Amino acid sequence: MKKSISLLIGGVQGEGIISTGINLMKALSSLGYYTYGGRSFSSRIKGGNTSITVHIGIECKMWINDEVDIIFAFDNDTIYKYAHLIHKNGLIFYDSILTPELHRNDKDNIKFVPLPISEMAKNNGVEIIKNTCAMGFLGYLLGITRETLHEVTIKRFKQKGLEIIKNNINVLKDVYQYSEKNLKAYNTFTLTPTSIVKRPLMTGNDAISLGALMAGCRFIASYPITPASEIMENLGKLLPKYGGTMIQVEDEIAAVNMIIGGSYGGVRSMTATSGPGISLMMEGIGLAGMTETPIVIINSQRVGPSTGLPTKHEQSDLFTLYFGGHGEYPSIILTPSTVEECFNATIRGFNLAETYQCPVIILSDLALSLTPQTIEALDFSKVEINRGKIYTPTESDEYKRYQLTNDYISYRALPGTRGGIHHTTGLEHNEMGLPTDDPLNRKKMMNKRFKKIEPLQLGEEIIIHKNNSHVLVLSFGSTYGVIKGAMKSIKTPVDFGFIQMIKPLPIKQLQGIIESYKHIIIVENNYCKQFATILKSELGNHDKIHSLIKYDGTPFTLKEIITEIGGWVN
Amino acid sequence: MTTIKEYHNNISPNWCPGCGHFSVLRALQVAAVKLQIPNEKLTVVSGIGCSGRFSGYVNAYSFHGIHGRSLPIAQGIKVANKELTVVAAGGDGDGFAIGLSHTLHAIRRNINITYLVLNNQIYGLTKGHTSPLSDIGTQTKSTPTGSLETPIKPGIIALANGISFLAQGFSVYQEQLVNIIIKAIQHDGFSMVNIFSPCVTYNKTNTYQWFRKHLVNLEEVQGYQTENFETAMNKLIETDGLCTGVVYQNSNSTSYLNKLSQNGLTPAMDTSLPLTRGDFEEIINLYR
Repeated sequence: MKKSISLLIGGVQGEGIISTGINLMKALSSLGYYTYGGRSFSSRIKGGNTSITVHIGIECKMWINDEVDIIFAFDNDTIYKYAHLIHKNGLIFYDSILTPELHRNDKDNIKFVPLPISEMAKNNGVEIIKNTCAMGFLGYLLGITRETLHEVTIKRFKQKGLEIIKNNINVLKDVYQYSEKNLKAYNTFTLTPTSIVKRPLMTGNDAISLGALMAGCRFIASYPITPASEIMENLGKLLPKYGGTMIQVEDEIAAVNMIIGGSYGGVRSMTATSGPGISLMMEGIGLAGMTETPIVIINSQRVGPSTGLPTKHEQSDLFTLYFGGHGEYPSIILTPSTVEECFNATIRGFNLAETYQCPVIILSDLALSLTPQTIEALDFSKVEINRGKIYTPTESDEYKRYQLTNDYISYRALPGTRGGIHHTTGLEHNEMGLPTDDPLNRKKMMNKRFKKIEPLQLGEEIIIHKNNSHVLVLSFGSTYGVIKGAMKSIKTPVDFGFIQMIKPLPIKQLQGIIESYKHIIIVENNYCKQFATILKSELGNHDKIHSLIKYDGTPFTLKEIITEIGGWVN
Repeated sequence: MTTIKEYHNNISPNWCPGCGHFSVLRALQVAAVKLQIPNEKLTVVSGIGCSGRFSGYVNAYSFHGIHGRSLPIAQGIKVANKELTVVAAGGDGDGFAIGLSHTLHAIRRNINITYLVLNNQIYGLTKGHTSPLSDIGTQTKSTPTGSLETPIKPGIIALANGISFLAQGFSVYQEQLVNIIIKAIQHDGFSMVNIFSPCVTYNKTNTYQWFRKHLVNLEEVQGYQTENFETAMNKLIETDGLCTGVVYQNSNSTSYLNKLSQNGLTPAMDTSLPLTRGDFEEIINLYR
């Protein structure tokens, strides 16, 4: 019996490797286990090796172990590339048509077990059924009943017809019969039973899509890009059911301008992109800042600059978004660290955008956006919508779109509203919205735009797990997951936490934190220590703020965090 | 009853005296009055350049965006609220240089908005630079030896790209221009009106006189059928694009949002549709 298991499934890209992993994860999630799946893929559709590393356990884990217990290989490449990851006493299962002899000496105690995957698939119709076959073998090894896998299979192939369901059910039967006969010896991988709670399996992109829908977003204009496309795909399916529209536009420039139009027109609007798209959107983001038009932009970061490593992980767009765009304008950057937080941050993002009438960026990263994981149920009762100051006509007042008020926020009149007619321009403008280059007005309007978001600096945006240490490890985005794992694994863990809003920086809280710690270690996936640099520029205390960075396209591993943080423990 | 006075906002345009844009502005205001569009139901969007100021002179909801992007903004507004009449206006740089891609995609997408091209074949606000619509040989500050590049033909590319309503006007021919704009607004789909609007300061070639001499009025061409794509294309080739009137209209056009409605979808942005706990659970179940 095992409390947790890590397994790696690998094969040729385009042959359903990832969906094999995901279906297994769904089955396990519905049985009460927690799963977390790290994907490795390349920028091509068919061919090339792809793999998913799945962590399964009775406790929630948001990182991938450095070692795996089981490798399930659909091709020789998987064995060649990953055999060194296998834990001692680990098992490498492979399709019996492969010839992995060459790699037998990788480590002692590794058992190579051929399984008649292709053969069984052929006997049951089509080649693609290999995936169900693999899921069956893995299910058997982990101690999942055949009936549970039936349920998953039926759900998965519901739309493909009875014939396909039948074939898949048959192959599962064969797999279980074969396993009973031949694999009994490997029952050491059976999972410890757990109480059944049906938890959903989601990625950050799924949670962002759902958050947007719940926040009342009814328009998304987007251009496909890894690792953000799923958001527009999801909303393209969901929105039309609830009175909304998704448009795949010609480029990211069109996307940002179209959602400015949509939001100005009165509808919560968003776009989702990655680094290259953000670069194209910068002028439009400035327009939203200048015209005080609320928009929400999801930026799922990948390796840049230029095309960089489009399918790999990085957190390097912070500078661009924190400082970026020509001229100066207010914007808000939210940085969710978990899938659940992606849901909450997206809802919050729409509320902040309309309350403060400025662009809001939800900064995700490839690992957060694309990693499927078992999550706790999302909370419907937490969904609150605050649309900010929207003008309703009164008899007496003369409407001024950019009226200077005590909180520097003015009423927005939506087109179609009688009495609210006004001009909106990217030129500097007066309270009426009309262009003017008067220096006094320029100063007033600059102050207005910046002062309106100042109250956000007073918020509590850093969530800290205390371990009574004088050292704090601080991160943003998905990096939090592996830090949490590392702190659970070491004997004397330090304090650690994540920040959920980087712009405006929660200065007040940060000043308190700086005072109460001897050392603060900022962990981030970029070369220039972007978050640490921003913190230093706003807070000083250069001697207290240290960095742990990684910029090779992969997220931090548990070992890396433990080794690097280990020195700070005492 | 909306009157022309209500469409003025008492701001004097900063265009040069004699600029064609004054007449285009008036034509839109007259068309809006004739259609009896309440001021607050009209939204005018513009880009950057002399034409960019256009939106600021109409007493309506008006949005002066960034260079070349008036069409994405205008389409977004229409998607958000299809009760609005949305008119985008832009110059030849806006629509055929920096924003050309948006023009072509707005044509394909066929969202029901009207695009007025204030075409003077020159960049006025940068003080006289060549435009993608400038004739070969046009001398400007950026083409001291005369423009070497072949001009884009706005009518032909719009037609070739499948536009459902294309008209051309001349700022001087007010009555025709007003009628064309009315038809364009009434059309269910993306309508483009390419308007010859001479720049009196920087374009010494394509002058008022030059246009009067060269323009063919399609309304005076016997038997000209606006529904015939082939005739329209031939006429644009034959006149080198120098014609006015409705060039082509597909009366069977169904705009993007109406197509969605026909498919049983609800594109109208009705934010009053709340998601119940039941809806929420149903979606979550997709992930179980």
